[in-house]
Amino acid sequence: MARASLPTTTQRQTQRTSVREPYEFKWIHLLIYFVLAVGAFVSVIPFLYMLSTSLMTLGETINRQALPKTPQWANYLEAWREGQFSRYLLNTVIITTLTILGVLVSSVLAGYAFANISFPGRDTIFMILLATLMIPGTVTFIPNLLMIRGDIIPWESWLNSLPALTVPFMAKAFAIFLLRQFFRNIPKELWDAARIDGAGHLRFLLVVVVPLSKAPILTVILLTFIDSWNEFVWPLLVTTTATWRPLGVGLWTFVNEAGPQTHLLMAGAVITIIPVLVIYFLTQKHFTEGIASSRS
Amino acid sequence: MAVTSGATPQQPAKRSFNREWLIGYLFIFPAVVIIFLFGFFPIGYALYMSLFRWRVRQGSFIGFSHYQDVLGSVWGGLLFLAGLLSFILVHRLWTSSRKNCRVGAVALLTASLSGLIIGWNAMIGTGDGDFLASLVRTLFYAFLSIPVQIALSLIIAYLLYHNIRGREFFRMIFFLPYITPVVASAIVFRSIFSQREEALANQVLGWFGIAPQRWLFEPKPVLELLFGGQITALNTWLTNSGTNFQLEGLWLGPSLSLVVLIIYGIWTFTGYNVVIFLAGLGNIPRQLYEAADLDGANGVQKFWTITVPLLSPVTFYLTLLGFIGALQAFTQLYVMRQPSARDSLDTSSLVIFDTFYQSNNFSLAAAQSILLFIFILAITLIQNRVLKGQEE
Repeated sequence: MARASLPTTTQRQTQRTSVREPYEFKWIHLLIYFVLAVGAFVSVIPFLYMLSTSLMTLGETINRQALPKTPQWANYLEAWREGQFSRYLLNTVIITTLTILGVLVSSVLAGYAFANISFPGRDTIFMILLATLMIPGTVTFIPNLLMIRGDIIPWESWLNSLPALTVPFMAKAFAIFLLRQFFRNIPKELWDAARIDGAGHLRFLLVVVVPLSKAPILTVILLTFIDSWNEFVWPLLVTTTATWRPLGVGLWTFVNEAGPQTHLLMAGAVITIIPVLVIYFLTQKHFTEGIASSRS
Repeated sequence: MAVTSGATPQQPAKRSFNREWLIGYLFIFPAVVIIFLFGFFPIGYALYMSLFRWRVRQGSFIGFSHYQDVLGSVWGGLLFLAGLLSFILVHRLWTSSRKNCRVGAVALLTASLSGLIIGWNAMIGTGDGDFLASLVRTLFYAFLSIPVQIALSLIIAYLLYHNIRGREFFRMIFFLPYITPVVASAIVFRSIFSQREEALANQVLGWFGIAPQRWLFEPKPVLELLFGGQITALNTWLTNSGTNFQLEGLWLGPSLSLVVLIIYGIWTFTGYNVVIFLAGLGNIPRQLYEAADLDGANGVQKFWTITVPLLSPVTFYLTLLGFIGALQAFTQLYVMRQPSARDSLDTSSLVIFDTFYQSNNFSLAAAQSILLFIFILAITLIQNRVLKGQEE
């Protein structure tokens, strides 16, 4: 009874939000608010600490005041210049954009094929692809590094290049799974109608299916964005120079160079986090709901 | 949906069917190539690498001797694995409705526990102590952070699901840690939990009159910090009574530094779990709660008798996901690791990374990673069986 499948999840959710009861105060709510407020406070303490420290002078970080006397906005400029953040930020934007585009192309096509085209071995291949979700990154990174360096297939080394940072992430099993689930629920009649009009699979996919699937596609974009922005070990291994080094590894390099200058480190952390926060706040509702519906 | 297997009258001609196949294969081609090349092929290649001497460049074939070196005794390793996997059978026997099965379960449990202990002892004496200890630390990390995460997030989600104001606001705040780039938040935690007296964590301890701690810099187990005197007394008593067992090292549980990482894990993932639980709560029919209200049940009763049982599939999913994540965790540990904490933060992923990156022993690292993979698979399999069984 409790095993709701994916499509019903989303249906019931919309039902739930539409029949929301009006607010009615009860005394128990005070207790609930209190517990939630404590939890929320614990969640944001690190952020507050980071913001506050990033605006302190070096002296204030050592004396550990709670708040800076006068906010030192210049810290951000200093961190920005010393840490080469403009370069790292640009790199990350490029890497993330390319990765998202790659994931979209590969997973929209594959998700559609797994949902609507029948060919031998379809379900077996799909199950095999899903199995990659179980494989730990610890197992794959060594062979992958050798592959990128041209030790396995004798091509020119991809180290310190854009493809090394993007191509391995351009297909994601979860994205294919998510889109397949959605595409499967698109009425078959639409496809029959399109076929009568002389459209092939690709045309139908681009003109009919994709416009109908904005929500799951946006979810795929957001999840890929987070994953890509967060990537650390792999870029650490494949970027030995700053040319294509992304933000996360750049911040780590900065930590090792800046040493105990906590205020600059925190400014660097803020710089790394801000773009993610902006996107999160802009797409907040879709973001959480997309994740909830995709992974439950 | 009724299945009318292939009986549709106007099936297209065979030729167009082949064209259909071709389109299908073309559509999945990009995804399959990338996932195969960077997801599957590496497993086989890691296995291949582990059979050679391989420091930066490929060397001579050495067979299974890396596995021999890591495990100390391969038979010990297999015995350990068998002991681990037989928990599934123990569980099945225990929950089986047939008579005498519980006796069998207890007997088998004894057997598998002794298999675990004998296997472990065979390995620990002669094997790669660093790697084996790292497996235990990995388990500490997973088993201490996941249950807390699940419990906290279940409570928070249940509270949030009440008809209160600001639900979206709270959900947004709780989710914030999850989307924050790990390197950045790990650097903030490094600063909060530093050993300096003025570090935020130590200031908070100061309010309660507790002496400052070394946090991420502390290699000592928490139990030793709390009960150092009693443990020394116990150990002298053990020595005096002629046992050669000492309560020390990994027997004392995680170090304070690992506990900071556990706190970090809870901080990061609780919000994510809350969001998933909230979606699950949306699927529980309102009528159940209304019926319970009519029966005069209070909030706590409704929580235990309706919410918890009906959410168990979600709990199962989150537990499994959390374990897979925790057993592979790397970035936060790597960023927060301090030299003075020595190896107390070295979970398996870090040991493997060091073998590869610091010692340049590619094939040993590959062998270790394969062993970790097997270990993760075994743990997930057990959880899958045991938790799924409970849910039914």
